Amino acid sequence: MRFEGLREILLKGGVAPRHVRRYLAELCEHLDDLTEKQRALGYEGEDAQLRARALLGEDRELAAAMLEQKSLRSLPARAPWLIFGVLPPVAGIAAAFALIAPLALIARILHMVAKGGILAPQWFQGTAFAVTGAGNLALAPALAAGFVFLATRQRISWLWPLLAIVLLALMDLQFQAHFPPAGQRGGALTIGATTWIWHWQSWLETWPLSATRLLLTLLPAGWLIRRRSAA
Amino acid sequence: MPSESALAAGLSELMVLRLLREQEMYGYEIVQAIAARTRQALTPGEGVIYPLLHALEKDGLLKSRRKTVGGRSRIYYSLNARGAKKLAAMTDHWKSLTGAVGAVLNAI
Repeated sequence: MRFEGLREILLKGGVAPRHVRRYLAELCEHLDDLTEKQRALGYEGEDAQLRARALLGEDRELAAAMLEQKSLRSLPARAPWLIFGVLPPVAGIAAAFALIAPLALIARILHMVAKGGILAPQWFQGTAFAVTGAGNLALAPALAAGFVFLATRQRISWLWPLLAIVLLALMDLQFQAHFPPAGQRGGALTIGATTWIWHWQSWLETWPLSATRLLLTLLPAGWLIRRRSAA
Repeated sequence: MPSESALAAGLSELMVLRLLREQEMYGYEIVQAIAARTRQALTPGEGVIYPLLHALEKDGLLKSRRKTVGGRSRIYYSLNARGAKKLAAMTDHWKSLTGAVGAVLNAI
């Protein structure tokens, strides 16, 4: 790929990936135009390409021009403490609500909700168990993987996503769907968010699920550390 | 008083905005147009025009769109209303600056 070295310099310099992508695309187009012009001037083959590349500028100059524009830096590069230090718990709670909100909405629209709780048909109960199960097992690990992806894509120090993973691992996001026997009212959907260190007794009560979730959440951290030691 | 580098940066910005007031252009066209209009007195680095274009767009002074012309797809930039306003202010500032410098030079 052309300008691979320049891409790395820019990403490590904190330039937002979308600006890097567009800059490189524009440079490729510009280089094609310059090569065409050199051919029109009578230079052929590799000669035209080398002259065009020299006219475009060295990687160092091209990078300096982009790095000079502070407004083009990405938010994770400008404020990693915000993205990897503050966002993880907020994102965890927001994602938990986003996951459960459609179920609550469906229950309300289809008039399942009343004073005594939810009177849910079989299909709704099945869906609710599937969603809460997915939330319990996959939400925190997916967020942890997301933070690792974000940091890797933007060449941000591995310590920042590690912090995000630790914060997510400390959180104990729990989803529960409870339904009484068929035909009875009293079903409930609940979300709980706490730090399991402070509530370790409840963590122990559900330890198979909690330990699985914790291990899955820590998986991206293992990948990060392995990648770091391989580098 | 603006520093020399700030003056140079402001000059590039002024020229880009002025050129884009006339028609939408892509980066290569802008570089060629600046070189041609200044009779090669100012030849911006071929590749370094893009960070400026990105920054101006981010500041809300330009808009861009991908357009295919003659089988080649390129990103074209054009001036928006905010950019036109900024260009008018920069032009006035530049005129007063060159007027002041001219007055000093003529007095020597």
